Amino acid sequence: MSELTTAQRSKIRRLSQPKELAPDEEGGELNIVPFLDIIMNILIFVLATVAVTFTATIDTTPPASKSSGVRAEVPSEALNLTVLIVNDGFGLKAAGGNIAPGCQNPGPGIAIPMKNGKYDLDALTACAAHLKSLSPEFAEENQVYISGNPGTDYQTIIDVIDALRQTPQGDVLFDNVNFKVPK
Amino acid sequence: MPAPQPRPKGASIVTYKAALRRAIRRNANEPEINFLNITAMLDIMTIILVFLLKTLGESSAAVPQSDDLKLPISIVKTPPGQEGVLVTISKSQIIVGDSKVLTLPGRESTAQTGVGARYKRGGPNDMYIVPLGSALQSARRTDKAIRAAKGLDPASSEAIIIADQTTPYRLIIEVLFTLGQSEFGKYHLMVMQGKKK
Repeated sequence: MSELTTAQRSKIRRLSQPKELAPDEEGGELNIVPFLDIIMNILIFVLATVAVTFTATIDTTPPASKSSGVRAEVPSEALNLTVLIVNDGFGLKAAGGNIAPGCQNPGPGIAIPMKNGKYDLDALTACAAHLKSLSPEFAEENQVYISGNPGTDYQTIIDVIDALRQTPQGDVLFDNVNFKVPK
Repeated sequence: MPAPQPRPKGASIVTYKAALRRAIRRNANEPEINFLNITAMLDIMTIILVFLLKTLGESSAAVPQSDDLKLPISIVKTPPGQEGVLVTISKSQIIVGDSKVLTLPGRESTAQTGVGARYKRGGPNDMYIVPLGSALQSARRTDKAIRAAKGLDPASSEAIIIADQTTPYRLIIEVLFTLGQSEFGKYHLMVMQGKKK
């Protein structure tokens, strides 16, 4: 078998070199960097917008002037707590009757008067926790009725629902809210 | 003149081609990545973006906040209920779904007599709002069919209440009462998650 000549070697060397692409032949890729920029901006904007509009819902049932209808049946020995939002504070009624100021005994009066011209929500939470702890039979009860003056703000009602929902330690108090028709 | 030297006899064509192939193989470079392939990342980002936009648009959580409608703030973290007819109570009007039902009088008036005697069934002390009731009955018929088709209990419907934080209790109760009379048995009061001041 004869060997390759110099010319053949030279030709092989020349032909076997990898081809260099001209600048206009390279890749042919679409320049999507501006598109990426826009997408990134929109994505960040959407994420930021979603983050600040977190909503939640509080479930309830139709209001009634009597304790009947679709709400859960309450046993006779239940606490059956009702919170009345009045102009001077919170009036509380339970199975034993009206709660007197101080939230310790039954009696007439506003159980939790206003403090510095504002509704005392911390005292309401403490009072609800105290009432619930009075009997072991109340431990499982989570239903509360709320009524208020016709002019009471919706925000105040939500504040009261929040105050009755749980203690600052996270213990659930009354998370099942029902409304009563104001008289 | 000397006779020209004979050209050296080269290798055969087969040998030449085999040598050429070997040389090409030897010199071949690994394909060089001279640009970042971001197509896969683009696909993912576009899918995330479309998904977010769709979720945001369809969610009832997308409540437009304005001077006329500001949701109350609550510590509740229950995820918003997606099922139900939307009833919006702003400072100036009541809306069912996307349709305006009635225009509200000023806050002083709504705090005393709700929407007013002319919209009531039986005078100023009645709780039933007639135009709202009519709109809700229509919504109830649609919702009943939807619930039946979805396999849910069609005996009663659910409503999502979006109310302004200054709405008086009287008006809230009138709306809830009218909902109850229109076979709506469960309500989701929409609030904004947040911490109290």
